[in-house]
Amino acid sequence: MSPLVLVAKKEIKVAIRERIVVALGVIITLLLAISVYAGFLSYQQQKSVIEKTQAEKREEWLNQGDKHPHIAAHFGTFIFKPKTAISLFDFGLDAFTGTSIYLEAHHQHEFMFRPAQDHSTMIRFGELSAALVLKILVPLLIIFLAFGCFTRERESGTFSLLLSQGVSMRSLVWGKILAFSLMLSCILLPFFLCTILLTAGGDSSNILHDLHIRTMLLIVSYGAYLFLFIAFAVWTSLHAASGRNALLTLLSVWIVLTILMPKVVANVSENLYVLPSMRAFKADIEHDKAHGLDGASPRSARIARLEAELLKEYQVDSVEELPFNFEGVMMQAGEEYSHQVYDHHFGKIKETFSRQNRLSSIASLINPYMSIQNLSMAFSGTDIYSFIHFEEVVESYRREMIRKMNNDMAENSKYGEFYEYAAGSELWHELRDFSYRSPSIWSILKNYTLEIIGLIAWLVLSLILLFQSGRTTKPLYD
Amino acid sequence: MLEAIKLTKRYGNFTALNSLNLSVNQGDIFCLLGANGAGKSTTINLFLNFISPTEGTAKINSIDVTKGPEETKKLLSYIPENLKLYPNLTGLENLDFFCGLGGKKYSTNHLTELLTESGLQPDFIQKRVSSYSKGMRQKVGIALARAREASVLLLDEPTSGLDPKASNEFSSLLLEMKERGVATLMATHDLFRAKDTGTHIGIMKEGILVEQFASDDVSFRDLESLYLKHMHN
Repeated sequence: MSPLVLVAKKEIKVAIRERIVVALGVIITLLLAISVYAGFLSYQQQKSVIEKTQAEKREEWLNQGDKHPHIAAHFGTFIFKPKTAISLFDFGLDAFTGTSIYLEAHHQHEFMFRPAQDHSTMIRFGELSAALVLKILVPLLIIFLAFGCFTRERESGTFSLLLSQGVSMRSLVWGKILAFSLMLSCILLPFFLCTILLTAGGDSSNILHDLHIRTMLLIVSYGAYLFLFIAFAVWTSLHAASGRNALLTLLSVWIVLTILMPKVVANVSENLYVLPSMRAFKADIEHDKAHGLDGASPRSARIARLEAELLKEYQVDSVEELPFNFEGVMMQAGEEYSHQVYDHHFGKIKETFSRQNRLSSIASLINPYMSIQNLSMAFSGTDIYSFIHFEEVVESYRREMIRKMNNDMAENSKYGEFYEYAAGSELWHELRDFSYRSPSIWSILKNYTLEIIGLIAWLVLSLILLFQSGRTTKPLYD
Repeated sequence: MLEAIKLTKRYGNFTALNSLNLSVNQGDIFCLLGANGAGKSTTINLFLNFISPTEGTAKINSIDVTKGPEETKKLLSYIPENLKLYPNLTGLENLDFFCGLGGKKYSTNHLTELLTESGLQPDFIQKRVSSYSKGMRQKVGIALARAREASVLLLDEPTSGLDPKASNEFSSLLLEMKERGVATLMATHDLFRAKDTGTHIGIMKEGILVEQFASDDVSFRDLESLYLKHMHN
């Protein structure tokens, strides 16, 4: 048996006999089990409610009876953000982005029912999810497991006997890393198997692209992240003067990486790239819809210009003489102008989000916690870019719905015939049922290049440090 | 087998070992005597490459220990003053682990035999080392030295704190090793043990090897007088 394997075997045996490791392992397993179980119950409940309500709203739309298409456009419908099994791994921004949206003419509403609004401020520190346990608590377990792996050998006097056997420092370092990796794998394996089964068994594949790739990427990236903590803890223990110093160093780094730095970066990005208040945002949109994006094209002027163009094009004297209902065309023109206004204002908001996220991405180059935080949300489909994609698909569906209503009004009703004309079930059926499919994970990952580079760079750096430390058997007391 | 050539170790202005020239051949037991801080442990640590020399060379089997640290350690066995083992492993598990690191794989029966022959009570073999006395731990160290079949033995005050019976058993080990042609370098305060088991004796003072002779050339009384003379000067 190679010295590396012998060292790993010995570390595992000693760790098991020191009950604290077993106790910490049980705590982590319990927390993961609770988070997965609670997440799965919540997922099942939400999924069932969403599917049931979405079907009810579709039925309401189809069976709304005969009415004027514009009234139908205001009757509108609701779209619910579908819940995927993999999102129970990392709730991400789900608590802040809202779960449903009301679609109607003229207005691009924001998402409603944000769980964060209904909870205490504690939700801002993160709900108990598997991601939270893996990102924050498991590194703490690693620190407690590994901080003394070399300092204790030195302090108890076994290090000199160990080195006098002719075993290389490389075998010692990698033997200990292998031991901690195996112990951690044993603790986390049931959880990861559970995640694979839940995501594979769920019916999320019709919503999320590359479900299996996402699951694998989640496991691989968390594996890399946790390996970094193992490598850093072993390296610190190797170089620390005492176990106390090693523990203090590791805990300080843990606090900075997982608590202080993410909060500081979030605060700095919010202050550097300020989002408008909801009230100001809505007021600006209403202003631009009424007065034009340039401030000099009021709605009345735009309607007058459209009327003049159409009268000229069809060579008629009044809108009543046009071969279609001018009101329908006017409504659609108004909608299309409001699309420009919404796209302009939402574009600015997205740009601000993008700048804020950019800062977080840059910070992730020096903080692997921030890398895994963003990547974990991306793989789970609960990140900002996945939400923006869903929001755009929903808005495109709203625009399609209103266009169908306005076109029907223009083609099938007469000018001034608002109360007389009524469309029916045939028109409502023309609007397809809403369905959503996420973009591929690769297109989402384009937004997280820095996070990936950061994580890989830290891995390479840690391997270099470990190889450097293990390259020569350094004198013990110099 | 063991050779020190102008071996020197300085810590700033303090010279812990000053230009030591020493050679220990196969079957020799070289006992280094001297007060605390004389440079005995420094010499052992230099041969173990636990510290690096400021000047000079320490060689084991003609290999510079700083150039072939792992290779030279494969040739030696080391027992410190207070042998520390893993308290949560049994004596047998500790022995198995350290033998394995040195590339030796023995059956449980053979390891048990080694421990018993080294004087460890049979009912302690399967007990965790946390319940062992210092003497018991030293016996595991003796078993390890036997098991490793090393050609060099480095001992840093190995009998310090041992009861007379355990010390006597330890002397038996040294003689057994001597018969097998093992070169032994032992730092000790025990003049009687040095005279009784050593083939050569050196007296160190303030980092300098001030006397070096074959143990057969002096009586115990002469050795004591010589030692005290150097300690008082």
